[in-house]
Amino acid sequence: MNLDWSLLAPEYVLAGWAAMLVSVDLFWGRLRKDWLGYLAAAGALASTLTSLIWLNDDTNFANLIEVNNYTTFFRVFFGLIGVFACVASARFVKDRLLHPGEYYALILLTVIGGSYMAAARELLTAYISLELLSFSLYVLTSYAKFDLRSNEGGLKYMLLGAFSSAIFLFGMSLIYGVTRTTQFEGIHEVLTGDTSGFELTLFLGLVLIIAGLGFKVAAVPFHMWTPDAYEGAPLPVTALISAISKAGGFALFLKLFAMAFLPLVDDWRLFLAGLSAATMLLGNLVAIQQHNIKRLLAYSSIGQVGYLLMGIAALSADNADAASALVLHLAGYVISNLAAFVCAIIYFNWTEKDEIADYDGLAERAPFLALALSISLFSLAGMPLFAGFVTKFILFQAAVEEDLLWLASIAVFTSFVSLYYYLVVVKHMYLGEPEEPTRFPTPWVEYAALAVLLIGVFLVGLGPQPLFNAVQDSTAFIFTGAEAAATVGAGP
Amino acid sequence: MIPIQHFLVLSSILFSLGIYGVLARRSAVLILMSVELMLQAVSINFIAFAVYLAPEEFTGLIFAIFVITVAAAEVGLALAIVLRIYRNKATANVDEVDIMKW
Repeated sequence: MNLDWSLLAPEYVLAGWAAMLVSVDLFWGRLRKDWLGYLAAAGALASTLTSLIWLNDDTNFANLIEVNNYTTFFRVFFGLIGVFACVASARFVKDRLLHPGEYYALILLTVIGGSYMAAARELLTAYISLELLSFSLYVLTSYAKFDLRSNEGGLKYMLLGAFSSAIFLFGMSLIYGVTRTTQFEGIHEVLTGDTSGFELTLFLGLVLIIAGLGFKVAAVPFHMWTPDAYEGAPLPVTALISAISKAGGFALFLKLFAMAFLPLVDDWRLFLAGLSAATMLLGNLVAIQQHNIKRLLAYSSIGQVGYLLMGIAALSADNADAASALVLHLAGYVISNLAAFVCAIIYFNWTEKDEIADYDGLAERAPFLALALSISLFSLAGMPLFAGFVTKFILFQAAVEEDLLWLASIAVFTSFVSLYYYLVVVKHMYLGEPEEPTRFPTPWVEYAALAVLLIGVFLVGLGPQPLFNAVQDSTAFIFTGAEAAATVGAGP
Repeated sequence: MIPIQHFLVLSSILFSLGIYGVLARRSAVLILMSVELMLQAVSINFIAFAVYLAPEEFTGLIFAIFVITVAAAEVGLALAIVLRIYRNKATANVDEVDIMKW
């Protein structure tokens, strides 16, 4: 057993930084509160850089936490999400929330939770890191403690989250009962062999695990908490939930199903495909009638979960195409979605409004913001030139290769639907009449963060090859056994 | 020795009761208690499997300890949120907390 504690260094950096932020806030009361946000962003960046030490390495800590390219990819990914979340929060938190030190500390804790969800190689570690991520988000969601919406969103998120983790755990206990191990690779080994007599238990365990994870990533019919938690939470927290809780959930979902449950693929493929179709349809259709930008983005993110689930439904033992496509789309979605949320945060900082009708005439008052929001929404809809198109294309292709043409058709159809409600926002911004024609003051820091995200959108949209290679290098590690590893790297 | 089926039946009953409670109760505190019931069912499952099927390992027992610990943390957190709602709204019933609807 390898007990090399240094493998956990990026998370030590984050945890130490979180403790430091709390004490800085406590003992240095005169520090400007928005600097605390930039300090927290520096911490997330430091952990991201630390994690690069293990690039192309393949080792693990005590058979619990893997450190390989899959982990490194997600450590970098979550670290950067943390950076953007902290930078985007700075002004908002200074003006509107109490206790900024704990707020940023909790954001860093979600990054730890997410990283370990991707790094876990056994069920208990996966569960604990899932809870670390979720608990931090429950607190952050109800952080505006005198705001009833925030309380309500937090309560709903918390109760349904606790319920879903109990379901998830019961599923895990059944799987443990059949396989007598919690190691993903061990489960894979047992399931490859003869499992006759246990079909029902295994199926029940799988369904419960899918339901539990489905709650976490907000798949229909387990999505009820999403719109309320999104609307209730302070805006930067909504951005964080939509990015890190989805990405962390899918990092674990993908790893669990590729690494442990792949031998049972025939049992769960159709089930997940059905879930994916329902999620795409409901998320995108209900989004049409939303008039609040947070709820619109909430339902659109449910729709995106449908596309991502398609990647899991298309998993196969022969190649890693579907897994790579899923992670790639996850990256594209998170970048575009964060950009959209940063726009919403900037606008909220100016006006305290988040109804779509309030965006009337934004193009006159803040042309760059209107352009940026349009670009990120088009990218979410999957228009060519932007990240969303390339990543969706590769994902749909992976689904078609696994004979899920019907699912891909639904995905294409719902993408068109999504274009409609995104265009409604764009219409308000460009064709609506502004209340007053004055320009808004320029928030340089937020604009800089937004510019970086937009560059990301275009980089992925125009030259996805570097990111795709990185993704392929990382997903090669989540398949157990040699047959998958041999064919990895044969993608487009 | 008591056959393992007894434990599994007990845990299934507890788990189902927990699900029923979550769906049927209106008070947030009672919903939390029902979730606790579900988590206890999970612990029983893990301990029974560990003792009967893999007696030379401790994985299942350790899992049960962690489940108990996390459950305690979860309740602490949830009660804090419920308390906030109670302070602001003087109710802990989930169906009266309904500002936001789709």
